[in-house]
Amino acid sequence: MPNVNMREYVARRIRELRVAYGKKGLSQEELAQMVGVSTNTISRWETGTYEPTLNDLELLARKLGVRMLDLFPKIDQETSKDQTVDALLRAANELDQSDIDELRRYAEFRRARSIYKHKRK
Amino acid sequence: MLRTEYYEQLKALARETRSRFNLVSPRVLRSDLRRIYRAEGVRIDLWPHKLGHLRGAYFNDALGPTVMLMKGLPEDSMVFTMAHELKHHLVDRDRSLSYCDSSNQSNPIEIGAEIFAAELIYPDEVFRSDLEEMGINEGQCTPEILVRLKHETRTTLSYAGLAKRAEFMRLAPACSLSGVRWKKLEERIYGIPFYKTYRKRK
Repeated sequence: MPNVNMREYVARRIRELRVAYGKKGLSQEELAQMVGVSTNTISRWETGTYEPTLNDLELLARKLGVRMLDLFPKIDQETSKDQTVDALLRAANELDQSDIDELRRYAEFRRARSIYKHKRK
Repeated sequence: MLRTEYYEQLKALARETRSRFNLVSPRVLRSDLRRIYRAEGVRIDLWPHKLGHLRGAYFNDALGPTVMLMKGLPEDSMVFTMAHELKHHLVDRDRSLSYCDSSNQSNPIEIGAEIFAAELIYPDEVFRSDLEEMGINEGQCTPEILVRLKHETRTTLSYAGLAKRAEFMRLAPACSLSGVRWKKLEERIYGIPFYKTYRKRK
């Protein structure tokens, strides 16, 4: 894994994804409203002053319409692990699509936790 | 292996788990399950987002065993789901992913998890002897009896679970306990609980 400062990386990704949202992007105020936090909090997440929790990041990804792992640096093995989960979830064809989506999000949450924990040590 | 043998083995495992973790009553709480999960090294994640039919899921891969549980489930459902997912950890941990919802309950692995969970919370034999102590034998169990049993034992096994078992063990006639409005019946017998009257007064 490349040596990345996790806090700075995540901060930069939040800003990039916010600016790239839809066609026009979102203001910090708009994103704050969507996530249910103050504009100051968004600003501090984007400058790396505050470190968002995993739950904050999960909610941000959900509101920005991206995968949670899009907020983190890419890892070599990630693709094959994601494919394993995808294959298992495809086999779960009796589940509702919304439940499959939630299981996929949870699988990403677990991956994100291991990356976040690893880099903060 | 025959299905019945498989299910009996799961019941034996549930009883062994009860004795290993000193669960002595039919009132198993989520704190008891948390204690077991901690001892087994399984991480619990309460999932705060809306789920459809899904109540819980068990994952086990290189990241270690974790259980996702729907946040906000009532106590009885939460305990049952935790017990259900515990079976997946103890027995099916090589499957990487197991989930529990209302659509996959005809699968023997899932039926096994339901049987394990029910036995872990309230073993068959204890259930039978509690009913016998109330003077109830084959075919005599009524909805009112089950409400009294749940009230007196304070078991966390749901009414649906108790009813299914009473019919399966032929303590109640087949289909005699389906479609019962258990909470209404409970309120008719024991009165409306204080928290409900308090809420109404407010």
